[in-house]
Amino acid sequence: MTRKEKIWEYLKQQLPLNEYGLTTSKIAADLDLVRTNVSKELNVLVKEGKLQKTNTRPVKYFFANQARSKSTEKKTEKTSPETAKPAAHLTKQDTIFDHLIGRNGSLKNQVEQAKAAILYPPHGLNILITGPTGSGKTYFAHAMNQFAQARGVIKNQQLTTFNCADYAHNPQLLMSHLFGYVKGAFTGANEDQEGLIQKADGGILFLDEVHRLPPEGQEMIFYLMDHGTYSRLGETNKAHRANVRLICATTEDPESSLLATFVRRIPIVVQMPSFNERTMRERFQLLDQMLTIEANRIQKKIYLDEDVARALLGSVTYGNVGQLKSNVQLVCAQGFLNSIQKVDAIHLHFDQLPPNIKDGLTHLAKDRKQLGQLAKMLQPQMVISPDDSMKPVKDGDNYELPYNLYEIIGDKAALLSEEGLDQEAINNFIMTDINVHLKSFYADKKFERGQNDLHDIVDQDVINLTKQLEKQLQAEGYSSTGNLLYAMSLHISSFIKRIESGKPLRKAAPNMISMVQDYPTELNFAKLVKNGIENHYHIPVPDSELYYLAVLLISLKAEKQTGKVGVVVAAHGNSTASSMSQVVTQLLDADNLAAFDMSLDMSPKEALKGIEEKVRQVDQGNGVILLVDMGSLSTFDEKITQHTGIKVKTVDMVTTALVLETVRKTALIDSDLENVYREASEFNGYSRTTEQEKRQVHHVPAVDKKDLPEEKPKAILAICSTGEGTAVKIKKMLDNILIDHLIDDIVVLPISVVDMETTIAKIQKDYQVIAVTGIVRPKLSVPFISLEKLLQGGGEEFITMVENYTNNSTERTELEASPEIAKERIYQYLGEYFTFLNPQKVGEVLWEYCKVIERKVPFKLQNTLKINLSMHLAGVIERILTHSELSIQQEINPVEIRNHPLYDVILKANQMLKESLNLDLSLEEVYYIEKLIDTQHAK
Amino acid sequence: MLLFIYHFLKADTLINESLVEMLQVQLFRIDSRLLHGQVATNWARVLKIDRIIVASDQVAQDEIRKTLIRQASPPGLKTNIVPIQKLIRINQDKRFDGMKVLLLVETVQDALRLLLGGIVVPQINIGSLSFDNSKQMISETIAVSEQDVQIFQWMHQRGIKLEVRKVSSDSPKDLWKILTDKKMIQSNLT
Repeated sequence: MTRKEKIWEYLKQQLPLNEYGLTTSKIAADLDLVRTNVSKELNVLVKEGKLQKTNTRPVKYFFANQARSKSTEKKTEKTSPETAKPAAHLTKQDTIFDHLIGRNGSLKNQVEQAKAAILYPPHGLNILITGPTGSGKTYFAHAMNQFAQARGVIKNQQLTTFNCADYAHNPQLLMSHLFGYVKGAFTGANEDQEGLIQKADGGILFLDEVHRLPPEGQEMIFYLMDHGTYSRLGETNKAHRANVRLICATTEDPESSLLATFVRRIPIVVQMPSFNERTMRERFQLLDQMLTIEANRIQKKIYLDEDVARALLGSVTYGNVGQLKSNVQLVCAQGFLNSIQKVDAIHLHFDQLPPNIKDGLTHLAKDRKQLGQLAKMLQPQMVISPDDSMKPVKDGDNYELPYNLYEIIGDKAALLSEEGLDQEAINNFIMTDINVHLKSFYADKKFERGQNDLHDIVDQDVINLTKQLEKQLQAEGYSSTGNLLYAMSLHISSFIKRIESGKPLRKAAPNMISMVQDYPTELNFAKLVKNGIENHYHIPVPDSELYYLAVLLISLKAEKQTGKVGVVVAAHGNSTASSMSQVVTQLLDADNLAAFDMSLDMSPKEALKGIEEKVRQVDQGNGVILLVDMGSLSTFDEKITQHTGIKVKTVDMVTTALVLETVRKTALIDSDLENVYREASEFNGYSRTTEQEKRQVHHVPAVDKKDLPEEKPKAILAICSTGEGTAVKIKKMLDNILIDHLIDDIVVLPISVVDMETTIAKIQKDYQVIAVTGIVRPKLSVPFISLEKLLQGGGEEFITMVENYTNNSTERTELEASPEIAKERIYQYLGEYFTFLNPQKVGEVLWEYCKVIERKVPFKLQNTLKINLSMHLAGVIERILTHSELSIQQEINPVEIRNHPLYDVILKANQMLKESLNLDLSLEEVYYIEKLIDTQHAK
Repeated sequence: MLLFIYHFLKADTLINESLVEMLQVQLFRIDSRLLHGQVATNWARVLKIDRIIVASDQVAQDEIRKTLIRQASPPGLKTNIVPIQKLIRINQDKRFDGMKVLLLVETVQDALRLLLGGIVVPQINIGSLSFDNSKQMISETIAVSEQDVQIFQWMHQRGIKLEVRKVSSDSPKDLWKILTDKKMIQSNLT
């Protein structure tokens, strides 16, 4: 049966029973089809005259022959009461869960469990929802509450929500919120106050992140479950009575994060699947739903390419449905901005997506089977229309922005355009704004990123223990660099494995003991950790291990933040500065670097203002180095200092290498503005050279690196606490990537943090250390990548960086910046590789050819593309002159060539070629040119 | 001639071919223009390869040409640009065993260095060889020097087929036959 037939069959059965007609959502929900597809089929049926539809919202469908006038009248009468009481129309056949995506799939069991828990006589059962961040636990809890409302099993309709993480740092405050207090219970308790338990009486209390509820709180809650009574803070007798149903939620493993006595009292545990565990159909339905929510919000249609849908689905990693929602919001906000002039629709195009979402496409492409399933659901272009009939669960959704983003965008765009800014500037400005909004909002939501990756190497049990220890350590006043969870859990994990495997225990080296003696505080912390491990695993931890733990804690101790010198890169071009700084940020993990891109038509005043903003942004109180490309920019420093009060020094002729060098210098402990400035301006002798001198450099073929007196083998250090566990794993991982990059001359050396400095010094005698990764960052001025980043798939990037870093890649950036260099290259290569062509004459024509194309296409041709295209064309010309044209390829379809978006553009350029050189290009050659531009533009 | 081969032997290590498993070279092509449109769209698609390797000391040092080549490589296919000596090293390195590659060199001399360094191929594809005053044109796009001819002869004697073919759908021409027809093979060298 085709989809259309299926829908038609369904309508034949259901329409007679529904005198008001049926909505798309209802049909889609009952048939478990994607709403957009159903909508399409319904419209076909309308066109065929089989169905009619109302022009109200939501659109309802009728048989064409059904007496419509009557039902429409009735409908209008009924509309208002219907919408006023959403619960009223939820009959036994149509409950809130029937609209839940996945109710017949990956959430089937969960829905059954939830219904059972609510309906279980006499008062229902308490329930615990587990599942990763963003998997929909809160949403599910709200759905349960609505279900309970609809079934009339609760008196108190409101779901009372409490997030235990909100007050986790202050257990007393938390308890007082939950249970209430009596006057005089603590300082500031001036009168009696009832708690959330009382508020939830007769209804449902939702405890989110329940693992953050302190043990005494858990005890009081389960006393309440058993007896129905509790006491407020400051009371001794449990005199208060409350009839509360409990829904708890946690991202953790309940067995290890909650009291056993607490867990025992919760008979039903519902496990929410992660986004990627759900079926492709469900994921697609979720996407459809999220987009519809946005379409409703802006009351416009949303058009999207299939690749946008793929990228969005693939962009979901650790954050699950919540992350999907935030990504959809980001992309729609961007699309909204780009089509702000259009009245009724917004368009989402793949090439306009932010890079992290674009990456989703490759992410998804890894799984061919799923890609295949998805392909069946996708259409080349999809339309999402606003649909009022969609009644999602009303939830106090964590992922819902607290304000209307679209209104803000609209207002701001109007304001900026009144001030006379052009559209591009407005878009840039607002996009930054959107990113900031969304980022700051989701930062609060604490995506517990990274832990998923840690799971791959360390047992959940160890992670939980480490988290617990981390909390204790923090309570005792230990502050770490943020690596603690990674470093400590890896350390504990390998220690446990060692014990289990019966390997001999490590002895503490004398030098280690003497080192630890200097840090009595950390030694005490180590004892705390040791006790924690002993209690948890019931195994004795030897004293020697105590020293290892202490060393780990010492090396992870947060260094006092002395303000670094800030660095601002400012250069002409739409992305020159930001791409340079991006490279360096990725390489050095820099937090003191900002970039300012200047379009060529930007006025100096505008530029100055922009740069000042960046300077303020990166200033940490120690002044800012301004790295600029040329000209007027180098005179800015005094003005900036006047305006901002921040000391600024300028170095010109910025290159990626210079940015790298400068940022590296700022990371060294003793650096101040003056010496960073001195080092930067002396760097490689690049700066302070004139334009002409610099030119000459390009004609000299690259010289062997003479600054390296002897070529020692290159090494990357991988540091972990022992040098035997994690570090060896890192080595294996990096080795594979090195092979993939065809690099055979870099070794990865695993080392221990113990005596790290000495070990490194020893290594440096034989090796040239070119990069470091691991749990700590030694004081070496080489690129470093943290363990977290590496494990989260940063290895590939890391090696690419290392590769670029070891080869000096400055020339390339300069090539892109200067058309003259590109042109010279074309002449040079024409002379070298082509026998029959006059480099000057042909080169000029070919350059013009590239420019003709560039003028007609909506993107900029990179200089590298221009050179490659010119070389290719030279080959074409040579083939024509020597009558040795390419044979025709069978698979080339002439129609395809003519339909190519570049076809007309290329013909225009060919026309120019004909006029100047009197040459005609065949269709096959056009094909190769199309392919060449396609291939290279894609990069 | 012998002296000349020795010159290369001294430069690179000759190794015993049978002892090592090596890179699987699906196409070994000599082309002065290295990677350009034809190679990218045509050969890379018809051959089953993991990556393209360009072996050239000059290019490995020239950032701009490296960028140009990377730009021209087909999407989804990795392209590496390495010095000759490094490729020889990698070919002997067990870690890289079984990699299926399209191997590109710029000059006949580079090709010889690779063969002497242990790269094994049954045939070599010749694209274009650029002209200068010391060379003689033997086809529209191929110019050879005396030394080039000597090297081709060395290859021929070791049973390596030399084919001239621009794209895979062209019918291959035998370079050896062209050289013989043009009477460029001197019998005293054999």
